[in-house]
Amino acid sequence: MKRRIHWVRWIGVAFLLLWTLIPIYWTINTSLQTDAQVSARPANYLPPTPTLHNYLTLLAGDSETAESVRASIGNIVIECLAATIVTVLLSTLAAYAFARMTFRGRQVLFYAVLATMAFPAYTTLIPLYKIMTWLGLVNTYAGIVLVYVSGFLPLATWILYNYMSSLPKAIEEAAQIDGASRLKVLWHVVVPLARPGIVSTAIITFLFAWGQFLFPLVLSSDISTEPLTVVIAALQGRHTVPFSLMSAAGVLAIAIPAIVALVLNRYIVNGLLAGSVKS
Amino acid sequence: MTLGLRADGRLVPPGGGRPAVRRRRAADPLPYLLVSPLAIFIIGLALIPAVFTIGAAFFRVDELDPPTRFIGLGNFVRLFQDDAITSSIGNTALYVLIGVVLSTVLGILFAVILQKPFLGRSALIAVLILPWALPGVVEGIIWVNIWDGNTGLLNSVLTTLHVIDHYQVFLGQNQLLTVFLTEVVQVWQITPLSTLLILAGLQNIPAEIYESASIDGASPWGAFWRLTLPLARPGITVAMVQAVIATLNVFDQPFVLNGAAATGSSVTMQTYFVTFQNLDFGEGYALSLLITIATLVISFIVLKLVYRPVEF
Amino acid sequence: MNSMTRRTSRRLRIAAGLTTLVATGAALTGCASSGSGSGGDADKTSGVTISVVLAYDPPPKATLEEFKKETGITVKWSNVDWDSLQTKIAAAATAKTYFADATDVDWSRVGQLGKLGWFHPMDDYVDVASMKSDMPQLASFQDGGKTVGIPFDASFMVTTANQKMFQDAGISTMPTTIDDYTADLKQIQNKGVSEHPLNIPFAAAEGLSTAWYQTTAAFGGTILDSKGKPQFTSKDSGGYRAASWMVQSLKDGLIAPANINVSDSQGAQTLMAKGVVASTYSDYSGDVGALYNVASSSTVTGQTVYIPTPGVDGPGPNLTNADGIGIPMTAKYPKAAAKFIQWFTSRQKQIDFAGGSGKDKVILGYALPSRVSAVDALNEKGTLDGGEVLASLLKKSKPVFPDGAPSWYPEFSRAVYTNLHAAAAGTMTVDQAIKKIGDTANQLASGS
Repeated sequence: MKRRIHWVRWIGVAFLLLWTLIPIYWTINTSLQTDAQVSARPANYLPPTPTLHNYLTLLAGDSETAESVRASIGNIVIECLAATIVTVLLSTLAAYAFARMTFRGRQVLFYAVLATMAFPAYTTLIPLYKIMTWLGLVNTYAGIVLVYVSGFLPLATWILYNYMSSLPKAIEEAAQIDGASRLKVLWHVVVPLARPGIVSTAIITFLFAWGQFLFPLVLSSDISTEPLTVVIAALQGRHTVPFSLMSAAGVLAIAIPAIVALVLNRYIVNGLLAGSVKS
Repeated sequence: MTLGLRADGRLVPPGGGRPAVRRRRAADPLPYLLVSPLAIFIIGLALIPAVFTIGAAFFRVDELDPPTRFIGLGNFVRLFQDDAITSSIGNTALYVLIGVVLSTVLGILFAVILQKPFLGRSALIAVLILPWALPGVVEGIIWVNIWDGNTGLLNSVLTTLHVIDHYQVFLGQNQLLTVFLTEVVQVWQITPLSTLLILAGLQNIPAEIYESASIDGASPWGAFWRLTLPLARPGITVAMVQAVIATLNVFDQPFVLNGAAATGSSVTMQTYFVTFQNLDFGEGYALSLLITIATLVISFIVLKLVYRPVEF
Repeated sequence: MNSMTRRTSRRLRIAAGLTTLVATGAALTGCASSGSGSGGDADKTSGVTISVVLAYDPPPKATLEEFKKETGITVKWSNVDWDSLQTKIAAAATAKTYFADATDVDWSRVGQLGKLGWFHPMDDYVDVASMKSDMPQLASFQDGGKTVGIPFDASFMVTTANQKMFQDAGISTMPTTIDDYTADLKQIQNKGVSEHPLNIPFAAAEGLSTAWYQTTAAFGGTILDSKGKPQFTSKDSGGYRAASWMVQSLKDGLIAPANINVSDSQGAQTLMAKGVVASTYSDYSGDVGALYNVASSSTVTGQTVYIPTPGVDGPGPNLTNADGIGIPMTAKYPKAAAKFIQWFTSRQKQIDFAGGSGKDKVILGYALPSRVSAVDALNEKGTLDGGEVLASLLKKSKPVFPDGAPSWYPEFSRAVYTNLHAAAAGTMTVDQAIKKIGDTANQLASGS
């Protein structure tokens, strides 16, 4: 049986690679050219004279551009990490309560939380801006992270709720019969079992935060909190779009999560792809 | 080989799963403590602002036409009289249909590919997330460059392969083609999310189920249809609802690829124009309310059709 | 014990919920600090840090240090792209929050910003009258007798042409009338020098509107009168004929069919820089030096020139689309911001920023000063590509709307570019498009 599906799987893998990587390749290819070489007819499938000039412009030296880019990389990493940690923490606690406990208001709160996902971003932009101003949190990491957390908690809670409620209750019940408190059960039994759910929630929350643009645009006043996405948009000139420079910036923006994913490889594999739960 | 349906509506694997244990109702402060941070965030930073703007949809909130005053359904009447908005509703419906179907099918496909371990799988996950990690503004200019009618990659490849003899215009002339190509770009961006959601759901399925199924003589195709898909329903539901939300709110892709043209304009684009250019916030809130209702309705339908609680 | 715990925990829950409700409710009903600063702060100029947010790269650090030494004001510069910046300005103004002490005032938004009172009248802070003679475009920045912003660059619409391509097709003198221009482009096409020689961006975006305004002026027409009523609806009006000419050129193949997706400031300039087209009818002043003559972004260096825009009986006027800088009402330090603006738009600084005093004082992408005296000085030094032509055109540049941009400009412009785009894409006729645009103008002008 393994041999029969072998080639089907490899066709699938090839399709995944092509589908994902052709535009990525195009981005990398463009980033190694100059604007004069971009938009050629026919297109330059390989960079005619590969150059790292764009990357140097973005990262090296003390030009305004490089300083902004470097600062914004630091900002986006901090903001995304903080948002991920807080979201995963709060959603794990809440999902456990929804999945394993009964309490008054459980149904109502659960559906209310999910329902907030239905509101478009523009609905909450101005009110949140006003609230953050009132709290004095405009242009601070805290303000941005709070807004992110409020936006991503519903999905995180839903993922973890699904995950936890599908776990076999037997192990938890056994632990409780042995006298463990609910919190101990949560920490020692449920969390390890729910690791795939937690890791995938963390990855999803991180990537959602990574791509945010409109909220940090409005909530940041300057480079002390602007994430990379906002700085990249600012690379657009008044009357031109520096294609190759922005492509290089795009490569930077994807390189960081990709490197993180490769470095944390083992945790991801053990966490997300933990596979079977022995019953 | 088939899944069992328990009396309380849960799907269980063959063998019956575990019997439900009736829980004693305890008046316990613990659940409230666990959910209160979530509740504070959601009520304070999501629900209250949202309720405020829903209310504002029934007011005239126009910076150029103060003061704020109650006008009932006035905003809604005005927006349905606007051709640009009504045609954007049609476009958006197409975006949702194409986007949800494509991203879900691809998400299931990729999740199944990544379900079982094989050499290079973890590197593949790093590759999978790249479209999602790419900032929207860069995604926009790259795909503009791919579809472009003057100097684009697709035209270039087709010309090099002698499939066409002069460059074609793909966007802006034929509405269906424009919508489709625009949505392909969004699908490219959101498929990683669908994949991760479904993959996480698949990880729950114990290997023993597949082992006993193959002992029973099931084919891999059969195992996929009768075991994997049904047990992945919760994950697929979440993925589909996320896709509905993303496609119903699509903005970046049509805006960058086709500007404000009626051939591809989306409702969120119109919301942006009405809010930030016309400065008619009331009408913008009314549009947001419509999007919210549509999201809730479609998600509810998806939930009813697709979701089944699962326990192992 | 059970029921007591339940009651207590329920009370706690209710209390927490109410507190949150009250807190956020209070925030929303505008207990928010308006951020406009106390009277004392507003007058401070020394020892403060002001925030300047523009869609431009900042001046070199050394230059800002000089400013700090002179005035004691530290400048924090933020570069945000134009579209996002307009969103930020609108969001901050609506939420009545502070986000900058000095920021962008676009010529097209002057009417809207003026009516909304979102910016301090510059007349309170600088001597506008004395600037007027040196800045021909200042008039476009005045609304209802108040100056909303000061133009700091002299961007105006101008026709660029690839002279080499004209010569290759056997044309030695550049055209001055529309008919000659069209005929010359056809010749360039027939001789195979360029497949689609005319460049007009037909994507449904702002650049199409400005191209149409420029073409309308070249056909001898105007867009709106002082009451905002359309002046282009009759078939022999400048605007109507302009739209017909533009759309017909696309249908005839003079403009590439793919241009229905080409945006101004994105795709359009690229086509010119790659030598794909022979002439951009409504280009930006400064593009020759800033873009087409730069080897890393262009393959046609040295080939392009500015020409007076070909019009119906000779050259047409050049319309202003300058960038201005103004002080939002929510600024913390308006007086300090005013000092900065005065310095930023001074003659010597403009010369420096445009490259007249050496490369290390340049602002990237700053092509053309708004002061005629600065442009003249650059021309004397010979540092401005096509400077002679630019200087003469700048002196004669006219505002798009003689009576100022209307407060409903963005909505009007959107009607213009979506309908003209549809006419070019073939989903409606020029007649229908003009009618729709006219109807929108009438509707907006009558205040509905």
